[in-house]
Amino acid sequence: MTTMEEYNSGSESSFHSEEADGIVKECIEGVVGNDDYSQSLVNKWTAGIVERCLTQLVKQGKPYKYIVTCAVMQKTGAGLHTANSCYWDTTMDGSSTVRWENRTMYCVVSVFAVAIA
Amino acid sequence: MDEDQTKEETTFVVDEVSKIIKESVEATIGANAYQHSRVNQWTTSVVEQCLSQLSKLGKPFKYIVTCIIMQKNGAGLQTASTCFWDNSTDGSCAVRWENKSMYCIVSVFGLAI
Repeated sequence: MTTMEEYNSGSESSFHSEEADGIVKECIEGVVGNDDYSQSLVNKWTAGIVERCLTQLVKQGKPYKYIVTCAVMQKTGAGLHTANSCYWDTTMDGSSTVRWENRTMYCVVSVFAVAIA
Repeated sequence: MDEDQTKEETTFVVDEVSKIIKESVEATIGANAYQHSRVNQWTTSVVEQCLSQLSKLGKPFKYIVTCIIMQKNGAGLQTASTCFWDNSTDGSCAVRWENKSMYCIVSVFGLAI
């Protein structure tokens, strides 16, 4: 029991991207899952995905500010490139990007976590 | 006057950041047509240029810059972002740019230290 506690208090001071990955995948599946790309619904989807991810992340109760971005693109053969660059404290802050797809669309979600001093 | 100046130095000024973004995008891809082999280099260059200009401002902020470049092909693209931060000091700015063959969307998030 004591070893578990020690492990937990150590891990609270850095960002765990694997945990965030899991949370993000669940949120995407929950909102978009098996649906086909739909121009009229895509607005609702992106908003739904970012809000759900943020709520789940904040629930973890860690001392972080979060930024969640989501891009949903229809599969038509067009090329899409994304890049991120961050100016922050590399020991405490972190990010995680999840690329997901189904038959008709791609979804790229990025989570950035910035430690509060 | 002094009070205004110190406030300027510690808040996220959207117009200033927007200008920096536009300049970086124009300088990197301004006159170019979409090229699959170069787009990787372009996105990296846009975010790096933005970031170095932003850090030159010398404000007490951490920055996150994201860039999306998409070929114009009729596909639909929707992006959204949401933030959990301090509303009084943090801010964001997104710029959508396009030319005949591609779209470029750059977002900058500034979080006060």
